[in-house]
Amino acid sequence: MIKDLILMNGYGVFVWSSFIITFLACGVFYYKTRKTLKKYEKEFAKEIEELSTEKKKIVLENSKIASKILSSYNKSI
Amino acid sequence: MLNFFYNSNIFIWIEKLLSFINSIFFALLLVGLSFALIFSPPDYLQGDSVRIMYVHVPAAWIGLASFTLIAILSIFNFIFKIKNLKLITKSIAPIGLIFTCIAIVTGSIWGRPTWGTFWAWDARITSMLVLALFYVIFIAVHKLVSEEDNANKISSIVAITGLINIPIIKYSVLWWNTLHQPASIKITGSSTIHSSMLTPLLLMFFVLLMYCALIFLMKYKTEIIRIKKKNLKRL
Repeated sequence: MIKDLILMNGYGVFVWSSFIITFLACGVFYYKTRKTLKKYEKEFAKEIEELSTEKKKIVLENSKIASKILSSYNKSI
Repeated sequence: MLNFFYNSNIFIWIEKLLSFINSIFFALLLVGLSFALIFSPPDYLQGDSVRIMYVHVPAAWIGLASFTLIAILSIFNFIFKIKNLKLITKSIAPIGLIFTCIAIVTGSIWGRPTWGTFWAWDARITSMLVLALFYVIFIAVHKLVSEEDNANKISSIVAITGLINIPIIKYSVLWWNTLHQPASIKITGSSTIHSSMLTPLLLMFFVLLMYCALIFLMKYKTEIIRIKKKNLKRL
């Protein structure tokens, strides 16, 4: 049964290569997108940390996004 | 009601949606792949090579739908100048490009056992290649034009111009003599595909759509953070 699934009556090479190419492309694209997002989150959190106490307080009070990113960044380290 | 459209609220919803999709995605993928590779029957003419359809057709649909959406949003952006629309179009474009390329490559692989060739300058294939070029130009404009307003204007023009290509792709199989078969699935009228093949096809389409949502949400989130980062520098 496994042999049939791999060979697919001679069409296996075409079917499997199509599926592998599709999921490989999707996997690489997912990895790159996630990596960019994490990089931006990290940079943004670092920039907030580097602000003066007063400015940091203003930013965190006015921006839900900033406080959320900072708290998730602090959890990750 | 309008509060929902604030970036901070959108951001919180993105986080919730991302974790929801992440939790169901692999189970869905497993079901979709099982139907596509094991449970669906081989075609009476094409044999098992028909299974390529389960990645080729959804990829082509997503490629076409993404560009149509980008073009429509670009028209709205021209008229109403809504900032979020720019972020949405910018986030969709790479997804559309990747799926258009997947459709072209898997179509080419499918062509070898079916038509006896990997490539032919056939109307459907050529118009899909033109679509990929429109995506490349759209993305390149955002990367190369540093002034954001100009980049948005130029990319919107590219998207609206590229919209002409969409009906050409759709009706190319009817307007010209092509190797490509006419559509088997019709939104209006009866489809000529059996339910044993239609079910895995729609299932794989749904799986890939979930993947697109996942990528879109991550890209959109990145864009929001990028804007926030810029604002932080102005302090």
